[in-house]
Amino acid sequence: MTNNLQIPFGMGLNVTSYINSPNPVYSVGGIIAFAIIVAIIISIFGYIFGWLERKMIAKVQHRHGPTYVGKFGILQNFADLVKLLAKEDIIPDSAERTLYIIGLPLLVSVSIFLVLLLPFAPSLQATNFAFGILIIFVILSFTPILLFITAFSTSNKFADISAQRSVLILLSYELPMILAVAAVGIAAHGYNIASIISAQSNGIFAIFMPLGLAVLFITMLAELERPPFDLREADSELIAGWLTDMSAPYYALSLFLDYSRMLLGSLLITILFFGGWEGPLLPPIVWLLAKASVISIFIIIIRATTVRMRIDSILKFGWKWLLPLSLINLVIAYIIFA
Amino acid sequence: MAVTRINIGPVHPSTHGVLRLVADIDGDTVVDVQPHIGFLHRGVEKLVETRMFMQNPPYMEKLDYVSPMSYDEVYVAAVEAAMGVEVKERAQYIRVILLELQRIASHLLWIGTMCNDIGQMFTAFMWGFQDRDMVLNLLEEAAGGRMFYVNMRIGGMVRDLPPDFADHALGLMDYMEKRVKEYERYLERNPVFMERMKGVGVLSYDDAKNLGVTGPVLRASGVNFDARKNKAYYVYQKLHFSTQVQMAGDNLARYKVRMMEIRESIRLVREAIKALPDGDALGMPVKLILPAAKNRISIVSRELPRGECIMYLVADAQKPYRLSIRSPSFINLAALNFLAKGQRTADMFGIMGTLDLVMGCVDK
Repeated sequence: MTNNLQIPFGMGLNVTSYINSPNPVYSVGGIIAFAIIVAIIISIFGYIFGWLERKMIAKVQHRHGPTYVGKFGILQNFADLVKLLAKEDIIPDSAERTLYIIGLPLLVSVSIFLVLLLPFAPSLQATNFAFGILIIFVILSFTPILLFITAFSTSNKFADISAQRSVLILLSYELPMILAVAAVGIAAHGYNIASIISAQSNGIFAIFMPLGLAVLFITMLAELERPPFDLREADSELIAGWLTDMSAPYYALSLFLDYSRMLLGSLLITILFFGGWEGPLLPPIVWLLAKASVISIFIIIIRATTVRMRIDSILKFGWKWLLPLSLINLVIAYIIFA
Repeated sequence: MAVTRINIGPVHPSTHGVLRLVADIDGDTVVDVQPHIGFLHRGVEKLVETRMFMQNPPYMEKLDYVSPMSYDEVYVAAVEAAMGVEVKERAQYIRVILLELQRIASHLLWIGTMCNDIGQMFTAFMWGFQDRDMVLNLLEEAAGGRMFYVNMRIGGMVRDLPPDFADHALGLMDYMEKRVKEYERYLERNPVFMERMKGVGVLSYDDAKNLGVTGPVLRASGVNFDARKNKAYYVYQKLHFSTQVQMAGDNLARYKVRMMEIRESIRLVREAIKALPDGDALGMPVKLILPAAKNRISIVSRELPRGECIMYLVADAQKPYRLSIRSPSFINLAALNFLAKGQRTADMFGIMGTLDLVMGCVDK
C-alpha cells in the first residue's frame, strides 16, 4: 500500500510514505502531519454532526432547531461551546479529585487514539498492523471501564448507577460484535485494515453478509451508547447519568467524546462492511468520509424515533438474537469465502 | 447487592413538576419507593372559604394546569347543586363539547410526557404539544384563554360559542382522528416501545379496586367504571359513547385506554355539535346576589381526564363553608408504590408516566 501515490484532497502530500521513510525526521514529521490532519477531520466531523443532529431531530419533531447564530444556525454549537467552556468548573468535595479531572480527558484521548489507528486513505495512514482491526476493538471494549472509573470518581449515586449499567450492557454486545468482526476476518483472510478494504474491491461485504452488518450496526449503537441503548445518559431516569455531578467544561468534553466516538463507529462500519475508501472518481478520503457520514445519519435518525431499552431486555436481546445471528453470519462467511 | 437509597426530585426531568420520590434500589430493582408530596400545596381548600362562590373558579383551574376547564366545571357544578340551579340545555351541550376537547388536549400532552419518561428523545412530546396547541386554539375561540379559561357561570356559560366554532371543531376532529392513527402507527409498531409497555406494572382487577385508583388507570385493569356513564350528568346519557376498558392492567393497557378515549371524545364532540340546540346558554351574572344556600351540602362527581373527581361542598350563604376535593392524581399516586415494587428502575418511571400525575392536582 505504501507505494500507492494517490493524493488526498490534492494536498500533494503522501503522509504514509513520509511516515514509513527511513529518515527519522521525515517519519516524525509525517506522524505529526497525520495527527494534525486527523484532528482536523475529527473536529470538523464532530462539529458538523453536532449541528446536523440538532437540525435533523428538530425536523423529525416539526421544529426549526438552531437558526439564529450563523446561517442555518451553523455557529450555534460554537456559541454553546464558548458558553460551556466559560462556565465555572465546580468539583464536588466528595469527588475523587484526580480521577475526576483526568477521567474525561483520558476517555477523549483514547477515542482520538483509536481514530488515529484507522487509515483514511492509502496515502493517509499511520499504522498498518497485521491485526489492526482487532487491536481497535480490544481497546474499544476498555472504554466502558474507563467510563466506570470516571463516573465512580464523582461519587454521585446516579453516576454510579449509570456506570454500572454501562458496564453491564458490555456483557450483551461485546461477543456478537467480535463475532461479526471475525466473520469479516474470515472473508478478508486477515485482520489487516488495508487488506480488509482491498478484499472488498469486487463487492462490499454488506452484500454478502447483511446479517453481520446488522449485528455490527446494532452492537455499535450499544458500544457508542446511542439510543435505544443510551442507558448511560438516561436523562428521564438518571438526570444526566454519569455526568450528573460534572460541570459545564466536562459536558463540552463529553459532547466531543460522543461525536468522536460516533465518527469512530461509523468509520469502523464503513471499513468492515462498505469497502472503506473504495469507490470511483472521487479521492479515497472523500469516499470514506461520505460513507461514514451516511452511517452517522442513520444513527441520528434512530435517536429521533425510538424509546430507550431496558437493561434486562438489552441483555436478553443480545443473547437471544444478536449472538445466534452473528454465529449464523460466521457460518455464512465461512461457506462463501473460505 | 446492597440496597441503595436514591432521592428523585423534586427537581427531576420526569417527575412532572415537584414530586419527590425516595427509592430504595437493589441493583436495578426497586425495593421500595415512597412519594413525598406537598411541594405545590397552596391550601386551595381553605382559600376558597374566604371568597365568594364565583371568585373561586380561577383557583380551581390552577389545581390541574393540564385540564383546567374540567376542574372549573366540577366546582361550578358543585355550587349549582348546592344552589339547586338547573343548567340550561344549550350550556350543557357546550360544556360537554369543551370538556371533551379538554380531555383530548390532556391526553395528547400525556402521550408526549409518557414517551419522554420511557426515554424518547422528545419526538412524541413535540408532536403531542403541537396537536394539543390546535385544541387550545379552539378553546381560545370559545373561552378567550389558552390555559386558564374561567368561562363557566352558575347555570351556564360566560359566553356562547362563536358562530364559526362548529366548523373549526369538526375540521379539527377530522385532523385529530388521522393523528391518533399516526401516533398508534408510530408507537405500536416500534418493538422497543412495546417491550417497555407490555406486561409492565400490572395492576389486577382486585388490586385496582382495593387501591381505589380512578380513571383510565382503573379502566385499564378491567373495571368498567366511568363517571360519565355510571353517574350520568349533563347530556352524556343522550350521547353515544362507550367506556373504554382493557383487561391487561399493564402500561400498554393504560396507554390503549387513553388512545381510545381520545377517539371517543372525538365522537362525542362531533355528536354534541350536531345535536347542539338553539337557545340561551349564558349563566347568571357574577354580581347577581345568589339565592341563599345556607348549610346546603352538595356532592358532585365528574370524570376528569385523570379520573373521577369528587367535590364535597358545604355552602354558607355567599361562600363555601367547606370544600373538600378528592383529586384523581392523588389517588392514583398512591398506586405507585404498589406498582413499582419489584420492577426495574427504568420501569418505575414508565409506570409513573402511565399514571398521568399532575402535581397541582395531587398537592391541591
